[in-house]
Amino acid sequence: MATRLQYENNCEIGVFSKLTNAYCLVAIGGSENFYSTFEAELADVIPVVKTSIAGTRIIGRMCAGNKKGLLLPHNTTDQELQHLRNSLPDSVVVQRIEERLSALGNCISCNDHVALTHPDLDKETEELIADVLGVEVFRQTVAGNILVGSYCTFSNIGGLVHPHTSIEDLDELSTLLQVPLVAGTVNRGSDVIAAGLTVNDWTAFCGSDTTATELSVIESVFKLREAKPSALVDEMRKSLIDTYV
Amino acid sequence: MPRKPKKHSHSLRHRLVTFSPFARSKAMATRNRGATKVIEKPKLQNKDLATSSFNGFKNNGKDKTQQSGSSASSDDEEFEGDVQADFVFFDPKPSDFHGVKVLLQTYLDNLQWDLSGFVDLILGQPTVGTVVKIENDEDDAVYSVVSALNLGRYKDSKCVLELKDYLLKVCRDMDVKGKLKSLVGEHVQDVGLLVSQRVVNLPPQLLPPLYNGLFDEVEWATEDEPTEELQSSFRFKFYLIISKIYKHKSADQNGGTVKNGEETLIYNRPEDEIFFMLSSWSFSFPSHAQQVTANEMQLKNYRPMGLVMVVEASKISSFRKQLHSLIDE
Repeated sequence: MATRLQYENNCEIGVFSKLTNAYCLVAIGGSENFYSTFEAELADVIPVVKTSIAGTRIIGRMCAGNKKGLLLPHNTTDQELQHLRNSLPDSVVVQRIEERLSALGNCISCNDHVALTHPDLDKETEELIADVLGVEVFRQTVAGNILVGSYCTFSNIGGLVHPHTSIEDLDELSTLLQVPLVAGTVNRGSDVIAAGLTVNDWTAFCGSDTTATELSVIESVFKLREAKPSALVDEMRKSLIDTYV
Repeated sequence: MPRKPKKHSHSLRHRLVTFSPFARSKAMATRNRGATKVIEKPKLQNKDLATSSFNGFKNNGKDKTQQSGSSASSDDEEFEGDVQADFVFFDPKPSDFHGVKVLLQTYLDNLQWDLSGFVDLILGQPTVGTVVKIENDEDDAVYSVVSALNLGRYKDSKCVLELKDYLLKVCRDMDVKGKLKSLVGEHVQDVGLLVSQRVVNLPPQLLPPLYNGLFDEVEWATEDEPTEELQSSFRFKFYLIISKIYKHKSADQNGGTVKNGEETLIYNRPEDEIFFMLSSWSFSFPSHAQQVTANEMQLKNYRPMGLVMVVEASKISSFRKQLHSLIDE
């Protein structure tokens, strides 16, 4: 299910939080309401960790991660790094990287298997991403924008990209990522998808300005609607034997 | 009858003293674009540079101006000269939603309220209200918004109810509270909420036409609106204004006077001073939202406050004259 919420009158949820399949990071300084909405959805399943990165609240845009790891920019303080290492599960590798482009969330978009990165990222960084996050890395642009981390967001199930992405680009990206993609908007026509929305395999959070239409697109592409029989069959399809010859 | 956008081309010799993050980033963007242009085409004559425009900004490169406190770029080039911009006034329309919302973020301090609904009210009133943009701006950014909303007309909407509750809550002055209660209670049909927000460095020369435009539109609306009910909704008797000021920290203790000849009150916007003098009553309350201020040193003795004023509609013509003379001097 997708939840609508706000951070201090601001609908850019993806800026102030980071959601993956193994953990959720939330910015400090917001009202308890913001934090408790995340807790209500996620508390029993994954840890919800309050943090800052480099002293800022824009944590969603500063870091990139998936269930296997978390990458932090070079200006993350030692205390923040330690706090994150302590609070996240041991299976998650927390790594601070020396990369000129410090807004990693804007430069890297990833799920548990594939990552799309800013074309100008260092070769070293690319190798670190493949290593720490355990993903295959592709340098790409989305609708002509180099900030792939801002203009597209995808989980292991589906993805949402910038509204002006052409059909050819959509097909190409979909082949690369191996998930269905849809071009759409969030927060009442905003094209900065990843800033307005944060998603994992079973839930999504988006800004309260998101219209019902946008929300239904999000729920359908990320397959968030509850327990449809077809969803189960899709998952099991590989192991099901249809006919005996 | 739709009115055409009013054009006000001001060729500005206005030094952009940028001291807000937004303005800094805008100035940074033009500075970098300007700098690259100079480097790439060193043979361009000055007049070619002047006539070529990108996003409506032109870089004259005449005098070097120091940008106060900004040195984030590794570029050695200083922000050169004056920037020309053509400001255009438009009627508010639904596509301005995001721009207007950004300007109104701190309207009610750090209260979480139905801001989106409030912005919708402003945009739903194309006949009264103005949005200021830059000509041929590819970002279509909103630099200022003004509007007058009849609180009685919208009294059932969630945002107006939250606004009223907020005002009644922050008003600590008991004498004034009674007047405020009656204003938002029985007399709510006669009250116009004057909304006016802009980027900090908007040239002051735009203010007289902006406010003149608004008050003229209010007058025209009393005749042009389709129904009698709407026409009378614009016959305001009072204007309610919510704004921000800085009060000297020792002002309350010394009974309203301050040593060292420092000002008791500093107004963020010049028109607030005129409104305050013309107001029938007003009250201020401490503000909690994070304030971005340029002159930290100068403002360290001051506390940010919110200010609520009520001005009688009959005083508006006096306001227009005073604003004119204030800006033109």
